[in-house]
Amino acid sequence: MKWLQRHVRPEQVRELSLLLLIIVAVVFFGSMIDGYYTSRTFNRIVSSVAIITIVAVGQTLVVLTRNIDLSVGSVVGCTAYFVGTLLGRYHDLNPLLAVLTAVALGAALGAINGLLVAWGRIPSIIVTLGTLAIYRGILVDLSGARTVTTDSLPGWLVGLPRLNLMSIGGLDLPALFMLAVAIVLIFHLGTGYLAVGRRFYAIGSNPDAAALIGLPIRRLVFLAFVLSGALAGLAGFVTLARYGNITVESGRGLELAAVAAVVVGGVNIFGGSGTVLGAMLGAIMIGTLEQSLYRLQISEFWRDAILGLLILLAVASDAVILQRLRALWGRADLKIVTEPPAEATVAAGARSP
Amino acid sequence: MKTNLLAAASIAALVAMTGAASAVDIAPGKAMDMVLLPKFLGILPFDQAHQGAEEAAKELQNSKPLQFLGPTPENSVAGQIEITTNATTQGVAAIMISNNSGDQIVPSAKAAQAKGIKVVTWDSPIPSAEGEDVFVAQVDFTETGKVMADMAMGILGADGGKFAILSASPDAANQNAWIAAMKDALKDPKYAKLQLIDTVYGNDQSEASYNQANALVDKHPDMKLIMAPTSVGIVAAAKALQDGKLCDKIKVSGLGVPKEMVAYTMNGCAPQFALWSFVDLGYLSYYTAYGLASGAIKAEEGATFKAGRMGEYKITKDPTRAKGLRVLMGPFSIYDKKNVEAAAK
Amino acid sequence: MTILGRLKSWEGLLLGLLAVIVVMNILRSPYFLGAGNIANLFQLSIEKIIVALIMTLIIINGEIDLSVASIMGLAACVLAWLFQMGASLPIAIVGGLLAGLAAGLFNGFWVAYVGLPSLAVTLAGLIGFRGIARILVEDRAIGGFPVWFNTLGQQGILGPITASILIFAVLFAIVAIVLHGSALGRLVYVIGNNLQAARYSGVRVQSVKMTLFAASGLIAALAGILYAARLGSVRGDMATGFELDIITIVLLGGVSIFGGSGNLAGVGLSILVILNLRNGMGLANITGNTQTSVIGALLIFSVLAPNLAQNLQRRWIGRKT
Repeated sequence: MKWLQRHVRPEQVRELSLLLLIIVAVVFFGSMIDGYYTSRTFNRIVSSVAIITIVAVGQTLVVLTRNIDLSVGSVVGCTAYFVGTLLGRYHDLNPLLAVLTAVALGAALGAINGLLVAWGRIPSIIVTLGTLAIYRGILVDLSGARTVTTDSLPGWLVGLPRLNLMSIGGLDLPALFMLAVAIVLIFHLGTGYLAVGRRFYAIGSNPDAAALIGLPIRRLVFLAFVLSGALAGLAGFVTLARYGNITVESGRGLELAAVAAVVVGGVNIFGGSGTVLGAMLGAIMIGTLEQSLYRLQISEFWRDAILGLLILLAVASDAVILQRLRALWGRADLKIVTEPPAEATVAAGARSP
Repeated sequence: MKTNLLAAASIAALVAMTGAASAVDIAPGKAMDMVLLPKFLGILPFDQAHQGAEEAAKELQNSKPLQFLGPTPENSVAGQIEITTNATTQGVAAIMISNNSGDQIVPSAKAAQAKGIKVVTWDSPIPSAEGEDVFVAQVDFTETGKVMADMAMGILGADGGKFAILSASPDAANQNAWIAAMKDALKDPKYAKLQLIDTVYGNDQSEASYNQANALVDKHPDMKLIMAPTSVGIVAAAKALQDGKLCDKIKVSGLGVPKEMVAYTMNGCAPQFALWSFVDLGYLSYYTAYGLASGAIKAEEGATFKAGRMGEYKITKDPTRAKGLRVLMGPFSIYDKKNVEAAAK
Repeated sequence: MTILGRLKSWEGLLLGLLAVIVVMNILRSPYFLGAGNIANLFQLSIEKIIVALIMTLIIINGEIDLSVASIMGLAACVLAWLFQMGASLPIAIVGGLLAGLAAGLFNGFWVAYVGLPSLAVTLAGLIGFRGIARILVEDRAIGGFPVWFNTLGQQGILGPITASILIFAVLFAIVAIVLHGSALGRLVYVIGNNLQAARYSGVRVQSVKMTLFAASGLIAALAGILYAARLGSVRGDMATGFELDIITIVLLGGVSIFGGSGNLAGVGLSILVILNLRNGMGLANITGNTQTSVIGALLIFSVLAPNLAQNLQRRWIGRKT
């Protein structure tokens, strides 16, 4: 036990417990569904979580700083639609340029959020609740009711979801999923080891202290929102590639899915703790639940009720496992997860630093 | 021409009496506020209907601009009720509703009627027909069921097979009516080989529909066809099958917009699908509403009128709704490899 | 600036905003001042503003309830389902209310006694309660309620004032008394302000939170049933997405999302601002998308403006921070 305590960080234990839960879920569904343990199940889950994972990474960064970004669904919709229209018009646009456009557009929309939160000193939930409506409204007004259709898009884009980087015994690892994995790795390491990454944690866990030691809180919060927007933009591009047909409805509700992934993934909604990897596991957990529930031979109408219950159980059992671990480790930083508002009250200070 | 002569020979009162037999010419030039209310804004079919209604408004020389007002998709029910109520407050002459609120719109539609406003539904009616003067039906809803069954037979061949329905939302009145009509049609022995195994909902969202189509494929390994009576669902399903390289095993059919479907029809994923013209639907709805609001026609069985370029139409009992009246537009256009490219232009 | 000063200026701002909107509405639309329209203005959003009252308490307490709209749908669907199974309508109504209460207690249990974040619990509730509603009514639309039920929801009992509007007024008074004049109300603020301090000073945090979530479930259920009465029929998608509007109203009312501050007067003003704005835009034939965009912009602007003003003031005096 001592060894474990010394060599494994509590956050890693947190992730291991989630991994365990995913395995339990898979075993459970495997016993319920015929032919569940096939490559198809794996491929389905893997290709369905790419978009939500990318958005959840950005959301994690924002949540770490004790903020929230509810506008991501609208940002995904805007970029998917805009880049789709662009590619429909200019077929020979360089693919890299198309991706960059999506990321830049997302970053710009994120920058508006960040500006208002960091320098306008408006609580992020208000800003992004507002821009959630505004970005979507602008999209509907500008789109002129046209739908981006698959056949208007260049072939390389339409073929992208079918592109596999590698295939191990029928288990495909599609390029878009690997893109999400790469993003997760980059940001996981970035937040874990880079100075700027650690600062996200610092201002989230104690904004007053962070201000005292002279961290540029506003710039960091701004950066978190820009990154969240940029990643939502990238997710918009992936949405375009994967679904091909983009209506003005695209991406609606994604913000709740992303927040769910982040929360299930053990990122503290009051900032300061949790990891990008955890958020990805959260996304995979929810993806597994959703995809498996589709397969269960139950009425269409039962799915949501069960999904809601399972999400609750995931969060609860996770918290219970953690309570035990907390006792073992005797570490205070685990406590935050189960008793969130401990520092939330200082947040009034976060608003006017 | 014959009916015209007849009308000309009669005095005004006689026209009203014999209105059932002769088509009324709707006199243009009245200035009336009219509202065209789609389910929500932002998708092509409703925009086309708007285009058709504008065309009719121009022909009928209505100097008041047509109000094309719609709610947001996530607020469709409450939004439609709000727009109807506000239009009632403003005392407009007619409201044309593509109803997304089922019978929940009834109280506000009745309130509108109580103020003398004509309520015309199009695309999707009020199920109980209360609060509605007349429904401009794009096609016969019973016919829709048969057309879908026929397309399924046509695609699957004489041996038939298992198929599933991918609908919009569980609350869409027109989709539900079509699904019910199709289930009815399937009782006919000639469709005995067709087996409906599942109904799922993609909520008219591309992503949800795509995922639902994939789920159907996983859940039912012996499924041969996905029938999607929704323009959003059908494209999403076709894309899902194409991405899964499954188009040679599983086909897609249903109701779709040619412009959005052309690629999938040409590559064989969706060999056949159907639709009607939304431009014409908007045009006819406007003529009907204008005729009712200006008093040229009455919302009663047998009333016949001329709707500009589209010719003569008659108000009849709606066989799919006990108390409803309807103007039947029709017909279906069935699209396949031969005609889809021309229609997509 | 003291907290009191800041609050006062907040309400002053809302009041000014309201005045501008009302004047514009009167100038732009001849229909605005009609008694029917004023009643409609409330009636069209009455269920949302009823739930906003209890949401105010929840947010001041430092929690959030994302599941309210789903509970509204659930209560209406339980009512419709019981009614369809042959229960008399009063029993069905009680059933709907109990379902809402049960949902609220369920939320409260996980938040207060297990200690899970309310955001996660009620997010699961948002999905799950809607799911139960769906199971009950599936793809049906259930109507045909007795006339008195529909009349209750649709017709005025005092002139154009409907039962729902009266219920709202009564609830507003009750919530005002509870929040600003009772021991429970003080506890709501104390817990929202500093949970740890409240715990150490012996406040029964758990029972306060439990009470609030139970009340939230019950009132959301009541609102859902009133919505069913107003619309005269019930579907599985009833009130979907209302939670965003409800939370917007509360936040615009000056309630801090982090808990501990805000008051009912602000929320009352915010209700008037949003309803008048929506009504005015509706009468001016502005479509739904533009309406939501404008309200989104207003939400941001209403917090941004005082902050900017404060900034300028501070620059003027000389930088203190």
